[in-house]
Order: sequence, then C-alpha cells, then structure tokens
Amino acid sequence: MADLKPEQIVALLVPIIVIQVGLMIAALIDLERDERQVRGGNKLVWALVIVFVNLLGPIVYFVAGREEA
Amino acid sequence: MSGFAALLRKELLEQWRTMRLPLVATVFLLVGLSSPLLARFTPEILRAVGGDQFQIVLPTPTAAAAYDQLAKNLGQFGALVAVLLAMGSVATEKERGTAALILTKPASRGAFLLAKIVAIGTTLGISTAIAAAGAWFYTLILFEPLPLGGFVAALVLQWLALVAYASITFLGSTLTRSALAAAGLGVAAFIVLGILGIVPAIGRYLPTGLGAPARALALGQPGVDALGPTVASVALIAGLLLIAWLAFRRQEL
Repeated sequence: MADLKPEQIVALLVPIIVIQVGLMIAALIDLERDERQVRGGNKLVWALVIVFVNLLGPIVYFVAGREEA
Repeated sequence: MSGFAALLRKELLEQWRTMRLPLVATVFLLVGLSSPLLARFTPEILRAVGGDQFQIVLPTPTAAAAYDQLAKNLGQFGALVAVLLAMGSVATEKERGTAALILTKPASRGAFLLAKIVAIGTTLGISTAIAAAGAWFYTLILFEPLPLGGFVAALVLQWLALVAYASITFLGSTLTRSALAAAGLGVAAFIVLGILGIVPAIGRYLPTGLGAPARALALGQPGVDALGPTVASVALIAGLLLIAWLAFRRQEL
C-alpha cells in the first residue's frame, strides 16, 4: 500500500467531484428548459430529487422523470 | 428474426440520444473510482470520526478490500440501474402505442424484444467496462495492481448478473403495460434472489452466486470454478427472454 501525500489524495478526488457535480448540473439544465415536461408535472420535486438523491437522482430523472413532448 | 439489425440500430441510437448510455457510463465510472478510495480511507475516516472513543483495531485495507467495495457497489447500485433501464422498455411502448406502430413494419416480435434487451445489455456492458477500468486504475495507485485478466473476467461475471436483473424486469415490462409494475418485479426479484443466494445448494446457481467465483478471479486465486454459475445465469436469462417472447407473441397491442 503506497503512502500518499494529501495533494495526491486531492488529485484522486477531483475527477469524482467533477463528475458528480457535472451530472447534477446537466440534469438541472435539462429540467429548466421551458418545453421540458416532467412526470407528475412538478419540476421543483424533480429538482429536489436531482440534488438530494445521491447519484441515483440524476439517473432516475433522465430515465423515468422526463416526458416526451 | 426479420428486421433485427435495423431495430438494434434504432435501439442503440435511442440509448445514446435519451442520454441513457452516457449517463449510466458516467455514474458507473464514479462508482469505479470511488470504490477503491472508500476501501482505502474508511479506516482513517472512522478513526477521525470516532476519535479515541472506540478502541477497535481495523485491519489494514488491501487491494482485495478495493475489489470487495467495487463488487458491492456495482452489485447493488448496478442492479437498481439495470431495473431502471429495463422497466419501461416494452411497457411504455405498448402504453403509448409505438410498439404497434413499429410492428406494422416488416419486423417480427421476437426481433423487437431481442433488439431491446441487447441494447440494454450493451449499455450495461460498456458502463461496467468503464467502471472496471476506473477501479483497476485507482486500485493500482492506492494499493497494488490486481491481475488484469482475472479482473476483466470478474467484471464480465458481474455484468452477467446485472443482465439477469434487467431480464427479470424486462419480462415484467413485457407482461404488463406498467413500467412501475415491471420495476416492482425487478426489485422484488433482487431481494428474493439475495435471500435465496444464502442457501448453499441453490445459491451457487443464482445470479448472486456469480459473486464468489468473480472475487476469486479478480484476486487471482487458483482453481476457480465459474462454469456452473455462468451457465446457470445464461440459462436463466435465456429462459426469461423465451417466456417474454411467448407472452408477447400473442399479446394484443
């Protein structure tokens, strides 16, 4: 097991944080489009799901939350 | 199987355009990268949080712990994603009437179903491969290299288990018009199989039974018997698809 300096650990964490925040932002941008229809009709609920349901929130939104216009 | 190639192209394009493939691949990468990190730093996090309150001796984490963390996260989280991908695949198209529309073209119902499940399996496969690459690389940095061949073989078995859960949900999606009912069936099967997996005699031949040989392969242990569980899972998937096809053949759309 290699010993790691703090900055090396941070370097390993950066991709993870970038991906996680990126996913959330991508889902929120998609949600905010005026023509976007969502299941149940309430965008606020979906925004909460995307932000607070860790990891699975954006997936559930993209796969099951959007309705095709 | 008339029309299979054209339908598969359509389904794969749909996996891409509806963001499913890029999204699932991204999330799996996240799981792949974070699992070795969690394995490495959990003892230190516990020590930092618990302070001097616990005098527990935590074992020094190893590359095996990194694999275990990955297998656990992919097994649980991946199964949920497999259910999500498959739940609406047929049910939603029946409900909207698009299934009837597509089947007015020269395409058989068998080809329609097969194209869908192959596309879902492809999304899960690419995503599992990406998770594996990330996990292998981070394990290399944080611990030591795991044997590459065995690791790849282990992840193929993990993928097979995910396809099994997708197939169960897919059958539900074919039998009903409700994506939610299909998801319910998938989640119920995940729980039931998890419990049955503990029973030694049959557990080996369920999708959960793929875990033990996969682990042995990933850690490079000798004399791994992966054949029985693999054949059993492939047979289970084939059987589920056969039932789906038999039911779908006679359904009114």
